[in-house]
Amino acid sequence: MTHFHELVQAPLKLVQRELRNQLAQLQGEGEGPVQRLRMSNLIIYCNNDEVGARIHQQIPEVVAVHPARVLLLVGDTTIPEDHITASVQVEAHSLGRHHQACTELVLIKATGPAVDRLPFAVRSLLIGDLPTNLWWAAPIPPAMGGVLLYELAETAQQIIYDSIGWMEPARGMAATASWLANIERGAPGERWRVASDLNWRRLKYWRRIVSEALSPASAPGAAESVSELYLEHGPHAVIQAWELASWVVRRLGWEVQGGKLQEGVEMGWRFATEHNPTRVRIHRRESGPPELCKVRISCHINEQPVVMNLQAESETRLSIILEGMESQARTVTLPPLSAADLVGRQLSDRARDPVFLESMAVAQVMAQGLLG
Amino acid sequence: MALDLALAAPKTYLPQPCSLVIFGGDGDLAWRKLLPAVYNLNVDGVLPSHFAVVCFGLPSTEAGRNTANPDEYIRERARDGIMRFSRQPLDEDHWQDFARMLFFVPGSFGDSRAYMQLKTKLDSVDQQFGIPSSRVFYLSIPPQLVQMSVANLGKNGMVNKADEPVAFTRVIVEKPIGTDLDSARAVIRNVAAAFDEHQTYRIDHYLGKETVQNLLVLRFANSIFEPLWNSKYIDHVQITVAEDEGVSQWDLETNQMIASRIGYYEGVGAMRDMLQNHMLQVLCIAAMEPPHSLLPNVVRDAKVNVLHCLRPMTARDVKENVVRGQYIEGSEYGVRVPGYRHEVREFYRMRNEPLPPHSVNSTTETFVAMRVFIDNWRWSGVPFYLRTGKRLPKRASEVAIQFKDVPQVLFNAKPEIPLEPTVLTLRVQPEEGLSMRIVSKLPGPKVRLYPVQMEFNYASGFGRTSPEAYERLILDVMAEDATNFMRADAVEAAWKFVMPMLDHWKQERVLNLPEYQCGTWGPIEANNLIEKDGRQWRTL
Repeated sequence: MTHFHELVQAPLKLVQRELRNQLAQLQGEGEGPVQRLRMSNLIIYCNNDEVGARIHQQIPEVVAVHPARVLLLVGDTTIPEDHITASVQVEAHSLGRHHQACTELVLIKATGPAVDRLPFAVRSLLIGDLPTNLWWAAPIPPAMGGVLLYELAETAQQIIYDSIGWMEPARGMAATASWLANIERGAPGERWRVASDLNWRRLKYWRRIVSEALSPASAPGAAESVSELYLEHGPHAVIQAWELASWVVRRLGWEVQGGKLQEGVEMGWRFATEHNPTRVRIHRRESGPPELCKVRISCHINEQPVVMNLQAESETRLSIILEGMESQARTVTLPPLSAADLVGRQLSDRARDPVFLESMAVAQVMAQGLLG
Repeated sequence: MALDLALAAPKTYLPQPCSLVIFGGDGDLAWRKLLPAVYNLNVDGVLPSHFAVVCFGLPSTEAGRNTANPDEYIRERARDGIMRFSRQPLDEDHWQDFARMLFFVPGSFGDSRAYMQLKTKLDSVDQQFGIPSSRVFYLSIPPQLVQMSVANLGKNGMVNKADEPVAFTRVIVEKPIGTDLDSARAVIRNVAAAFDEHQTYRIDHYLGKETVQNLLVLRFANSIFEPLWNSKYIDHVQITVAEDEGVSQWDLETNQMIASRIGYYEGVGAMRDMLQNHMLQVLCIAAMEPPHSLLPNVVRDAKVNVLHCLRPMTARDVKENVVRGQYIEGSEYGVRVPGYRHEVREFYRMRNEPLPPHSVNSTTETFVAMRVFIDNWRWSGVPFYLRTGKRLPKRASEVAIQFKDVPQVLFNAKPEIPLEPTVLTLRVQPEEGLSMRIVSKLPGPKVRLYPVQMEFNYASGFGRTSPEAYERLILDVMAEDATNFMRADAVEAAWKFVMPMLDHWKQERVLNLPEYQCGTWGPIEANNLIEKDGRQWRTL
C-alpha cells in the first residue's frame, strides 16, 4: 500500500528538516524505523510548469522501478520575477505489518534570474555516496541547455534526455552528437558520466527485429543488397526514426552522399555502399501516435527481390512480413513501457553504449548532409 | 534500589554533586547551547539532586543591565534559549524545577568585588542545595579573559587543591586555546597557575558527538573493521567539516547584516577555527592505535600519538599539500549571499570603525583543504584528506574511509562502468549515523553492478534524538571523566603541526586567496589537490 504525504512548502534551508518531520510522522507506535528507499539522486529539470506537472505525475511510477531521492526542478525564465520556492513530499510504501519505507520528493520552482541558482539549491540536497542522475526533461536538446545543464550535471553520472518532440530535428541531432562527445567521461581517475536518450531505449525492440530481419542466417544476401530503407513515423517521432536509420547505416557501413529535406514531410539521403547505391527516406505521417510506425526494407534474399515490412502488429508485438516471398509473419514481443517505466529502467543502466555513440556520429554526418 | 545501582556503577560514570558556574553565562554559547544542555540533562534525570547553575558575567542585554532581579533575568534568558534551541521541547513542570536551581551574579571578570559576590552566592547556593562546595567553572569567555578570570578565582579562594577529596574544583576551558603555539602555551600556563592538569578540561564539542564516540565502538567493538583498518586495505580517508553559514548573518529582505563573528574570525580563519582543533581531534580518533583500556589517560595517550606521527610540513610541502580559499558572492539555498570581504567591510562600517589595514583586502581563509600523512606502520602511505569551509552547499561533517579497489579480475576486469569503491562513512552532523557503500548485483538475468548504501541513523534507529555534545561533556566533567577532553600535550602537538602552514602563509603575503562562490564545494585548487592523486572529493 502506498501513502502520499501532501506537498508541504518549506524554505530551501529547511527542506531536510521537513523531510525528517514527514518521515517521523510515518512511524507509528511500536513500529520499526521507516526505511528510506533510494538507489540514486534523481535531478529532473523541466522548463515550465506544464512539463513539471506532467513529470510530477510520473514520479511515483519512476520510483517504483528505481527508488530515488527526487529533486524536481521547474525553472521558467519567461516569468521575470526572481523567485524560488521549495515543497517536500514523502511517499510511503508498506513493507509489512510493522515496517514502512519511503521515497522523497523535493519540488523546487524558480522563475527569472533564480533559475540560474537552481544548481546551488541542488548541491545542498544531494545524498552523498549515491549515484546522481540528471533527467533533462525540457523539450530542447541538452546540447542547447547551456551553463545550467553543465552545472546541474556537475556530479551526475548519467544525463537522461528524450529527443522526442524536438523542434528542429536536424540541428538538434547535429548539436547533440558533438555534445555527446564532450559530455561523456570515463578516463581513469575521472568521475564517470554518460548520456542516454530515451528514444534510443524505445528502439531496443525495433533494433532487434531489424537485426533479425537482415541476419545472414535467415535472410542470406539481404544486408548487402538493401536498395532502400523507408521509415514512417507519427508526429514528434522523427528523431526516433532517424536514430534507427543512422544505426542501420552504421551497422551496414554506408557512406552519406547527400541529403534532402522536405520540411515537416520527409527527409532523405543517398548512400554509397560496397555493392550498390542505396537511399534512406524518413516520412512523417500527418497523425498517429508519436512513435516509429513502420520500417520498409527493399533488398534481395537469395538474389530474389523482397520487401520487408516491419511494423507494430499490436501494442505488444512487432512483426516482419515479407512481400515477394511466401512466408509466415515473424514477431517479437514488445513489452509495454510507459515513459516513466523507461526512465526508471534507464536510471540503473549507466553503462556506456558504444553503438549509440557510433550511430549518433553517423546521424551527425546525415544532419550535415541536410543542413549543407 | 537507586542507591544500590549508583554504588554499583563505576565511579567515573557518576556525575557528582556540584555547582556549575558558567563564566559568560549570559553570552551566546550559554544561551544557545550550555543552558539548554543542562536543562536537557535535568529532564533526562541524570543530574545529581545536589546541583545548581550559577551564571557569572556582565549582562549582554539592556534588560540585563537594568534588572533589579538578576536571577529572574537569567531564568527568562535561559527559558528563551531552551524554547529556541533545546533538543527536547520546554516542559513547564521540568522548567520550574530547573529554574529554581538557576542563578546569576552580574559582574566584570576583572572586578575583584564581583568575585566576592560570586563566592557569597556560591556559598549560599551550596547551603540551599546541600552541595559540598564542589564547583565546575565553565569559562565560556574569550581567551584574553582566561588569565584574569583564573587568577581572580585563585585570589578569592575559589580553587580548592587538586587532592581535595570532597569539595572538588574543576575548570572547563573553551576553544580557541591560543591563536598559535606560543599563545596556546601561555593559556595552558595561565590556567595551570591555579588548576592542576587533571582539574582542567579543555573542551572540543566535536568529541562529545555520538558519532565521534561511536568511532571507538565501531572500531574496537566489532570484529570486522579493525583487521581492515590499515594501509593494506584502506586507500584513503576523507574528513570533511562543511558549514553552510558564513561568518555573518544577513537579513535578505533588507540586505542588512544582522549578526557577525567577523570581530573574532578576521585574522583567525578556518585553520585555527576548525582544523587545528576539531578536525585533528577527529583524525586522532579515526587513526589511533587500540588503547589497552578506556581509562582517560590511556585513550588520550593513544590519540596524542597520532599527532606525534603526523608528517611535518616544510614550506614546499605546504604549497603542495595545503589549499586555502575565501568565499565570494554566490548563492546559498537559492538565495544570493555576499562574499567574505564585503562582510568584513560592512562589519566595520556598521561599527563606525575604520577598516584595519590588514582587513582592507582580507586574506583570512574561510576554507582549508589539505593532504596529510601519518608516518607509522598502520598508516604508511595512506593519505588523509581534510577539508573545511564556510558557505559550502550544506552543513555536513563526516569521516569517510575509502577502501582499496578489488583486484582487476572478475567484476573489475574491464567493467562497463568503473567499480565504485567500498566506503564506510560516519556522519557527525546533521543526522548522526553511519553508512556503508557496497556494490551489489542488480536484479535480472544479466550481471550488472550497482552501488548500494547500507545505512544506520541514530534518530530513527534508536527512536530518539541523540544528546547534544555539550550535554555529554558537561556530564563527563561532573563525573571526572577526561577522556573526551584535550590534554595540554595534545593541544601543543596540534599547534606544532599547523604552525609551519601558518608561518608559511604569513611569509607568503599573497594579495588574494583562491576564491570560491558561496554554495560551491570550495576553490578549484582544492579539487586539483586531490585529483592529482587520481582521487576525488566525495559528494556530501
